[in-house]
Amino acid sequence: MEQLLTSKKLIAKVALALAVLAAVVFVCSRIGTEDVSLKAVLAGPGTQAAPNPDYEIFIRIRLPRIILAGLVGAALACAGVVFQVLLRNPLADPYILGISSGAGLGAIIAVISGFNWTLWGRSPIAVFAFGGALGTVWLVWFIGRLTGKFHVTGLLLAGVVVNAFFSALMMFLTSIAKSDQVYSTIFWLMGNMKEGDFLVLWIAAGCIIGGIVALFYIGPQLNALSFGADDAGSMGVDVVRTRTIAFGIAAGITAVAVSLSGLIGFVGLVVPHGVRLVFGPDHRQLLPLSGITGAIFLVIADTLARIVVAPAQLPVGVVTAIVGGPFFLILLVKYSRKVSWLK
Amino acid sequence: MNKWWWLLLIVSCWMAVGVAMFGPRQGQNSSMPPLPDRVGRIVSLAPNITEILFDIGLGDEIVGVTLDSDYPPAAAEKPKVGTFWQPDIEAVVAARPEMVITLGFEQQKNLAERLRRIGYNSLTVNIDKVSELFEAVGRIGAATGRQRQANELISRIRIKLQQLASLVGAEDKVRVLWVVQREPLRVAGRDTFINEMIELAGGENAIGPTVHKYPPIGSEQVIACNAEVIIESAMAREDIENQRDMALRYWSKFKYLPAVANHRVYVIDGDTVSRLGPRLYKGIETIARYLRPYLFEN
Amino acid sequence: MSGIIEVDNLTFGYTSETAILKDMSFNVRPGTFVAIAGPNGAGKSTLLNLMCRALMPNSGTIRIDAAAIESYSTKALAAKVAVVRQELAPIFGFSVMETVLMARTPYYGSTGFEGRADREIANDALEATDTARFAYRPLTSLSSGERQRVFIARALAQNSLIMLLDEPTNILDLKHQVGIYDLLKTAQVEKGKTIVAVTHDINLAIQYCDEILLLGAESGYHIGKTKAVLSPEKIKEVFDVDVFAGGIGQEEFFIPLGKFAKDSIKMNKESGNI
Repeated sequence: MEQLLTSKKLIAKVALALAVLAAVVFVCSRIGTEDVSLKAVLAGPGTQAAPNPDYEIFIRIRLPRIILAGLVGAALACAGVVFQVLLRNPLADPYILGISSGAGLGAIIAVISGFNWTLWGRSPIAVFAFGGALGTVWLVWFIGRLTGKFHVTGLLLAGVVVNAFFSALMMFLTSIAKSDQVYSTIFWLMGNMKEGDFLVLWIAAGCIIGGIVALFYIGPQLNALSFGADDAGSMGVDVVRTRTIAFGIAAGITAVAVSLSGLIGFVGLVVPHGVRLVFGPDHRQLLPLSGITGAIFLVIADTLARIVVAPAQLPVGVVTAIVGGPFFLILLVKYSRKVSWLK
Repeated sequence: MNKWWWLLLIVSCWMAVGVAMFGPRQGQNSSMPPLPDRVGRIVSLAPNITEILFDIGLGDEIVGVTLDSDYPPAAAEKPKVGTFWQPDIEAVVAARPEMVITLGFEQQKNLAERLRRIGYNSLTVNIDKVSELFEAVGRIGAATGRQRQANELISRIRIKLQQLASLVGAEDKVRVLWVVQREPLRVAGRDTFINEMIELAGGENAIGPTVHKYPPIGSEQVIACNAEVIIESAMAREDIENQRDMALRYWSKFKYLPAVANHRVYVIDGDTVSRLGPRLYKGIETIARYLRPYLFEN
Repeated sequence: MSGIIEVDNLTFGYTSETAILKDMSFNVRPGTFVAIAGPNGAGKSTLLNLMCRALMPNSGTIRIDAAAIESYSTKALAAKVAVVRQELAPIFGFSVMETVLMARTPYYGSTGFEGRADREIANDALEATDTARFAYRPLTSLSSGERQRVFIARALAQNSLIMLLDEPTNILDLKHQVGIYDLLKTAQVEKGKTIVAVTHDINLAIQYCDEILLLGAESGYHIGKTKAVLSPEKIKEVFDVDVFAGGIGQEEFFIPLGKFAKDSIKMNKESGNI
């Protein structure tokens, strides 16, 4: 944008974006395979013997699912922003360093081993996926460091290698799995949105929103980092600290998002670009606005996934790709003068 | 206090509040409504479960089924709550069930847990083996207050199976290769319920024990297995003729295989034999007919 | 004699076997304009990187403003040393003003936004480099010369005592080359900055710099006033190139003449001018 960003302008933009998000959530909560009347919802949960289905559906199923979609969308978009600036690569997305294959491997191991135990009543897939994702990040970081002091190329190559290796492992496990396990795994890999229970949602919200705020705190440092580590260091930015915080948080919120909803692509790649094209690259603004836009995008995508082929559901990842692709193309064409790497 | 400490403090408080509100002690495994003695509104998420319910006299109490529940014909009239692979939780809840019965694989098991968490009674049964079928019928009977009918159903099925067993028992086992997919070639292994059905029908799997339940096999193993009968379960209900032509053309290259040489390559409708439910004996009988047609010419 | 940059017995090599810089000791006095010249691979950029702590020496010490370079925090070092590197293609479309303001990042308030003082410093830097007129244009829409001035403005906005530049006029046309050196000289004279610039253009260095540090790959280093350090023999020794020396005023100039140059030295030798 033409003028400088100030804190007042930023607050105004964020407030406006949040208003849009609230409106989208409201509209999408009215949409689903069942007709739910708001009046009936307000009547309350009903008794144990005769529960009020409108209330159950709205409050216990639809709203939590929409909230989860919003959180996951925000997490993936912000992680995408961070990976794009850390790796100085506009084509980076949150999965570029192997998080996706690590989570997928964890998930398929959980499905195949048929563990019957539950973590306080929650399926082990999420836990294994989370562990897989974080373990992979650590592994890639470790391998990348073997190539010398935080070399971006080394990190990217390590990510490619780990991705390839884990994908091969996943293919092997898929081949020996039962057909229903295969189906479950494939659908998990394509991304799915379920209403989480309240505790899980609450904790995820704390992690994701807290993470995004922390990333906002290092926004100015990320701006400097976009000119390269050497330049940023000469300007007085603590590059090691910034990178560690950014990388750790971005990987963490991606792992949380992926463990809850599988692999949803496109959000982490397209939303940062779109927001950057419209609002500019200042990370103090890019981070909160990308988060909110990611949330809006995924809530809409999930709503479409729920109703387009009812009573079945499309995997959310399919919708994000189909919706996101052309949308991004339009943005690109319209604002192409602003895009630096198309010069 | 700088902004980082503030952030840490706020997030910690947030987490503590969350655990206090929804923590493991309250909220989970909470009040589930007590089951009435005779359950009135049931949702079934699998076609074989639907059949069981009808067979123990609960047909009228069913208020929701998945799209593929097509037997008995009355089941097809029931309201739909999604597909077998993707049941729609909203539709399930809208049907106000007193009990939801699901199978045990991940998608449905997960759905059952979610339903329990929001306070609906649900029952998960595994029906992957013949023995598990009897167990499931027993559990469904106990949960719905229809133990007597359930035991009767179990006896009926057992008797039919015994009849079949005595018919085919004395003969030598027929070596069967059961093909689930032609390209790439995948067959039913020993650790499947198809294998159980083959054995109950007086046959023997031409393939030995394998790691995979449905192993992909190569031409060498095909020749080595020396199958006397090849059965392909067709993928679509329609177009069996077309599938038969393609199958015959495919298998003709193995002309020294006994099954091919004796023209004993069959393509059958997979649905009629692969549903592990009360009509189990029908499926086994069908297979037995293919293995030893002469036994049934009476 | 103390300097604002004191290098003692500095040895550095990227691998442990080969050392690019061997046992160097020299001082840079505050407020001087020093050029670093030498053939490719002699270690000019390496030396610059050592002076801003992007690299650490294998042995020896470097002191900035009388304190060991390792003792500075990142923020404190940035207040002493600013660096302008060879142009890196920016990947995001920040505007000129945003870029220059980034130099003030360590001084942002807890909200993460710049204060009025920071904006004034940035504006001054833009004025000094004559880039104020593109303040809100994206960096990518400027020419190389204009972009280089913006990076110098950013370094100026750091308000540091020392400015290090790595071949600042490498890719620029004549007008911009001269413009940059005028700008640097002004910063030295008006603001008392110490300027250390790596350059390939020894004639420009002679016209603008107080001292020159000549780095030779084999022949070691020499530092001192340009008159003392540079001569056709020295240049031949370090660069392995014949030059024609001439003078128009207080300084000499050196024109490199290769074998096939029109006025090749060989012919001048015959007429006895060398």
